[in-house]
Amino acid sequence: MEISSVITIARQELTVAIRNKWTIIFASAFGALVLVISYFGTMTAGEIGFQGFNRTTASLLSLALYLIPLVALMMGTQSFLNEGGDEMLYSQPISRGEVLAGKILGLFAAIMVATFVGFGIGGLIIATQADAGDFIGYPVFVALSLILSLVFLSLSILVAVACGRKAKAYGVSLLVWFFFVIFYDLLVLGGSLLFNERTANQFIFVSLFGNPVDMVRVAGLLSLRGGEIFGAAGAALLKFLGGEAQGITILVISLGVWVIVPFLISIRLLRTQDI
Amino acid sequence: MIFRSRELLIFLLLAVGTVQAEVLTVGPGGAYQTISSAIAAAADGDTIRVESGSYNEELTVDKRLRLEGINMPIIIGTRKGSTVTMIAPGSVISGFRIEGCGGDLQKEDAGILLRSDGNIVENNELEDVLFGIYLYHSSNNTIRGNRVVGRKHLESGGRGAGLHLWNSSGNTLEENIISHTRDGMYIQSSPDNTIRGNRVSQLRYGLHFMNSDDNRFEDNVFHDNIAGAAIMYSQRIELRRNTFVRNRGFSSFGILFQDCRNCVTEENLILDNAVGLFLEATNDSVFRRNTVAENDVAMQIFSSSKRTVFTMNNFINNLSPLQIVGNISSSTKWDPDEGGNYWSDYDGYDMDGDGIGDVRHRIHNIFEYLEGNHPRLRIYLNSPAARSIVVTEKSFPILKGSNEFDNRPLMRPVKIATTFLPERSSGRAGWFLLAFSSMMLGVAVAVFYRGLVR
Repeated sequence: MEISSVITIARQELTVAIRNKWTIIFASAFGALVLVISYFGTMTAGEIGFQGFNRTTASLLSLALYLIPLVALMMGTQSFLNEGGDEMLYSQPISRGEVLAGKILGLFAAIMVATFVGFGIGGLIIATQADAGDFIGYPVFVALSLILSLVFLSLSILVAVACGRKAKAYGVSLLVWFFFVIFYDLLVLGGSLLFNERTANQFIFVSLFGNPVDMVRVAGLLSLRGGEIFGAAGAALLKFLGGEAQGITILVISLGVWVIVPFLISIRLLRTQDI
Repeated sequence: MIFRSRELLIFLLLAVGTVQAEVLTVGPGGAYQTISSAIAAAADGDTIRVESGSYNEELTVDKRLRLEGINMPIIIGTRKGSTVTMIAPGSVISGFRIEGCGGDLQKEDAGILLRSDGNIVENNELEDVLFGIYLYHSSNNTIRGNRVVGRKHLESGGRGAGLHLWNSSGNTLEENIISHTRDGMYIQSSPDNTIRGNRVSQLRYGLHFMNSDDNRFEDNVFHDNIAGAAIMYSQRIELRRNTFVRNRGFSSFGILFQDCRNCVTEENLILDNAVGLFLEATNDSVFRRNTVAENDVAMQIFSSSKRTVFTMNNFINNLSPLQIVGNISSSTKWDPDEGGNYWSDYDGYDMDGDGIGDVRHRIHNIFEYLEGNHPRLRIYLNSPAARSIVVTEKSFPILKGSNEFDNRPLMRPVKIATTFLPERSSGRAGWFLLAFSSMMLGVAVAVFYRGLVR
């Protein structure tokens, strides 16, 4: 794989995405929501004479869990199935893998820049208003959000390549979003009722690895607040993962697998496709 | 003559004793080179002044003496038994630095061991000690302004408590600073003490307390411990204006009450703990005008706790307000005549402007309600799925949810003067976040500018 051609495609993709009105709308909306959450979150606590970090970042994490997968899926689908553009690209003397990698990198850069608006505003408000010992959690939280966008970009190519048609791909993308953000957890929750307490715990812990949204949420709360936040279940989880630092590392590595596997499958599919 | 002859005799003896009280000086410039030789030579009522320096000895104060350290002389024990043992009543020890007691938890090896009544232990610094100050069947003492630092190199379980009270009553423990021991204060079978203005941090239980009725805790601060205060098997305990901050460990808490009755908890600040208040089998207790904020779980209440009253408290920005363990509902009263509580997550309104919400406040949602008896569900804390269950329950109340309501929720938080504000996090961390955020904004602006304008 030629790195320079990947970079060229990525730069091109970034410019196109930045000029897309949806990216600008997303950046503004995300920024506004983060502004509201962090401003009101730190304000209510201020009434009593101290200001905290806890609930505010937990709410920001929630926001990221909803929005970032959705935006990554939509931007990915739109970019891969835009009419007229990519046939030119595929006709160049570069491999299809390079095209995919470049496009993902470019889109990732676009999402990163768009979310940086919101994360920057939120961070400024928290830094000036809130009173918390552990600000290091914030960069970790931003990094996890970005990893989440990368996972869903990777899934979005898989959807785009597998579906081929734009309308179908959008529909499937929405299903993928709904499945991972809400439905998967409901299934596991329901399923866990079939087992006794011990087996149910194991079942839930293993099931975390099947859902990147869960992994980001758990890794985020672990790094923001530590395992105590989950109470007794947290102690069991850390025992299962082998400690806090190791647990976060395992979750991040598994998220990496969630980026690479859909990407490799997409390349295989695309290789055999007639464009 | 209204005095009986015996009383007169005692009075005369005391008067003579006061007149004759001598001052013995220990140190390079004094008459004695060791403190124990001065104690041996002294008589009841004498004062022993100890000049600055290091004294390698173990003291037993067996007379009514006043021991004064000038410029913090250091007493280093023999690493066997207690460094200072007080067995005569009415003595004073102040201004010493005390180190190097023994290491046997069973033998009460302490910096200062009190086995007599009516002593004053003031302004001492105890370091490298197993127990700090141990009150062993010792009453009516004043322990004030001491600092205890435990043996950091030992496992928490191998250390003793900072202040240990066993079978001791009527003591005043004031303005002591305790860290790195096993428990800050361990109080057992010791009724009727006053514990005021102490500061306890970086250890296991800030307060470990059992079988001791009628104790008063005022203006103490318990911060950064594994657990704040565990109060067990006691009645009529009063907690006022104490602060419990950042006590975080697994199944940990700011304050735990177990098997207690008729306790009063007023105007305390319970901030940023894993669980704020934990109640098990605790009856007829009142929580009034406390601020419970920023905890992972504000309250965990076992349904074995009966008739608890919460009135005029502030519950602010807790991740979960309440978990009830056991039966479906507790007999807790959230809205007595005195008034309801302030809940920062209350979403009702106040049309008549009387400061009380017009819609009753359901204290915990269906998910928090289920968590009480199914702890594993807490893994789904903050997940979209959990939220969707909550929204579903609100819109279609098919699932039977919690019965805990505050019928008179306050619209504004109750103003409570807190005695302790957690210090602002280090400026460096704040600057770091400022710089990091500015960098993100800068990158975003630069890239958008380059893409859109150029």
